Amino acid sequence: MTEIFITGLGTIGAYGSGAGSLRQALASSELPGLTEMDRSAGYHLAQAPRRAFLVDPALLREWVPPGEARRMSPPSRLAVAAARMALREAGLGEGLPDDHTGVAISTAFGPSSYSEGLLKQILLEGPESASPILFMESVANAPAAQIAIASKARGPSVTICQREAGALLAVGQAAGDVAAGRVPRALAGTLDEMTPLLHSLLDRFGALARNSGPDGTELARPFDRRRAGYLAAEGATMLLLESGERAASPLAKVRAWGSAFDPTAPAVGWGTGSAGLGRALRRTLDRAGISLEEIDLVVSGASGSRGGDRVEALLLREAWGDRPLPPVLAPKSVTGEYGGGFLAAAVLAAAGARFGPTIGFGQPDPELGVVPHDGSPLPPPSAVLVTSVAAGGAASWLVLEAA
Amino acid sequence: MMDETVSRRVAVSGVGAVSGLGWGIGPLWEGLRAGRTAIRPFERFDHASHRTHLAAEAPLDEPVSLAGDPRWERLSLADRFAVFAAAEALAMAGLAGPLEELSGVWFGSSTGGMFESERFFNEFLRGRWRSAKLRDLASQQVNAPGDAVARWFGVSGPVSTVSSACSSGALAVGAALDAVRSGEVDVAVAGASDSLCQLTYAGFNALRSVDEGPCRPFRAGREGMSFGEGSAVLVLEPVERVLARGGEPLAVLSGAGSACDAHHMTAPDPSGAGAAAAVEAALRYAGMPPEEVGFVNTHGTGTPLNDAAEWKALQRVFGERAGELPLAATKALLGHLLGSSGAIEAVATVLCLRHGELHPVPSSSEADPELPVSLVLDRPLPLPGVRAAVSTSLAFGGSNAALVFSRWD
Repeated sequence: MTEIFITGLGTIGAYGSGAGSLRQALASSELPGLTEMDRSAGYHLAQAPRRAFLVDPALLREWVPPGEARRMSPPSRLAVAAARMALREAGLGEGLPDDHTGVAISTAFGPSSYSEGLLKQILLEGPESASPILFMESVANAPAAQIAIASKARGPSVTICQREAGALLAVGQAAGDVAAGRVPRALAGTLDEMTPLLHSLLDRFGALARNSGPDGTELARPFDRRRAGYLAAEGATMLLLESGERAASPLAKVRAWGSAFDPTAPAVGWGTGSAGLGRALRRTLDRAGISLEEIDLVVSGASGSRGGDRVEALLLREAWGDRPLPPVLAPKSVTGEYGGGFLAAAVLAAAGARFGPTIGFGQPDPELGVVPHDGSPLPPPSAVLVTSVAAGGAASWLVLEAA
Repeated sequence: MMDETVSRRVAVSGVGAVSGLGWGIGPLWEGLRAGRTAIRPFERFDHASHRTHLAAEAPLDEPVSLAGDPRWERLSLADRFAVFAAAEALAMAGLAGPLEELSGVWFGSSTGGMFESERFFNEFLRGRWRSAKLRDLASQQVNAPGDAVARWFGVSGPVSTVSSACSSGALAVGAALDAVRSGEVDVAVAGASDSLCQLTYAGFNALRSVDEGPCRPFRAGREGMSFGEGSAVLVLEPVERVLARGGEPLAVLSGAGSACDAHHMTAPDPSGAGAAAAVEAALRYAGMPPEEVGFVNTHGTGTPLNDAAEWKALQRVFGERAGELPLAATKALLGHLLGSSGAIEAVATVLCLRHGELHPVPSSSEADPELPVSLVLDRPLPLPGVRAAVSTSLAFGGSNAALVFSRWD
């Protein structure tokens, strides 16, 4: 089968712009700056968390000039910025060599601010007030379309919406297209914007960490007994995937991808984490000819969510059984949930980046049986398993290898 | 670029649908064959202040057997459409009970449970916090219908939802085809679901893309689309598996292709190049030359630009045959189901192949001399000797998709 390499990585989040900024944040285990959410609309409950990982809009100007940005929603600007970053890193910053580039991205919530604006117009002012500009950029695939227009990417274009599992599904989709020879390269990634409305609703559903840090501020505690929710984030990460014969100086190789579903999960929550998830992961590894012993590092999507981390842990425990787990990284305490920082962190892990102690972790949860990495030096990995479980039941995974 | 390597042949073993023509494949085919449009004044929400007032609304006063299940009450309309269509398709395929582990769900949707969520937002955005019920948001996200299907039937394999506007359903079916061909799953439940909602109704009207009367694809004086709602599901399995349990495939899903215009956020590439590339990719996947295609189920929205671009695409792919190739325009009867249109038009294509007839649309206006297509009008067209068909879906943002179906026998 055609080998798939990651030759470009573009990422933007609260940690800054570019892989270097994220690499620094992951190695230091210091929280990137949390930003106060605008509470002026009154959406938030009094006890809701006040901060989230937000992107400094000034970071986008290097990649999306104001003349272009004015025609895009915030998520589209994030997506185009990350895509251009990835292409530049891959040596394609001056333009793609042909029409045959695919785009496969995911978003958990789509262009939220424009959707909110449109709903306000329609419901509060009347349908005739609906702005065609807001509507056009409120559809979930608007960012993918803007990437394609900006890059002249005329291959398959897919937007996947599967909550927290979407990013790895998008990478799998793109890898499948390249592996099948439909396109020689594809941009794959994920993006989300975090608006006050969305932030307040996530809190109302009990998803966010409230006052869980030592000073009463927000802190995500992946796999920790005291975990009480995640830190919301916005941003975008795009990877350029290329087939083996074309890849030069790759960051990592995409060796396998797969997914499964837990039908015991309710629409907005977590299920029992049926044994089917672990079996499905083993099937993916078997089909790719990868033994458990080859996996020498795990990048888990554990975020500090009480239910989500439990399912992430169950997935690993069911797959490994009685065997000891390899080191488990849980970068979402640094990157937050949504916006693609996790995906970028996973690629950096496969490329041998240094990870500090897991922020927020201090007390193991005996029910989970997973203790995330303590920051001690790790040898460069050979094969990295990346996992993401989603509210509602979906789960996805990738195996990345050192290039 | 490499051609697709054929591994397993993939059968359509069951289909299910909900549309403005009713709940089930029976009412769907009866209405399609008769060329009966479901586009009419509707009652889903108060449209007095909207610019247009028609839609192909799924009837909610029909008895649905699943309504006796306590889980039904917690589902949004889009979820219910999806679960019903999936149940019908699985029953037709002879697959009862919880699905095995080697099964998955690939779904598409544009709006998920937005209809119910608008109730929440109508209160919440006005600051009426207490009267805004969080439960109205439970199925808001576009992955909700696909997840509902997976949950209902106990699917523990891959589940994924595409939201690429009007090509969502077709892209989902294409992804399911890949999964079955490669052996990732033995059973794929592929489809899409969307219900009417004010967000899209007002949004497309804001673009002035909606005809005040029923849409008239490819016809002179066409002024835009009409809305529809519903769901369609296809069950996909390896042909050998269907035969082994004594079943007979309804059709073979031979190929899928997609390509992006990379041209404009809402207007199609007028040259039709992107749409043509999607069709050509699908035919390449199927290992089929264009000459073997007996008809095309077009995207055919009734918008001036989209129909013109699609005609250009047909000319690129089929050359001089384009003007003689019989075309169906299902949206003239069912309206535009947005993300679900590709799925229900795939089902319509399977039904037409199976029955050996191409469904007509009403000849409610004159032919457009700029678009000399062979649109089937008023009476079904017999399809003697036709063994293959293409269904196209051309979306906002230039995401184009095509599916190729072949007769089984």
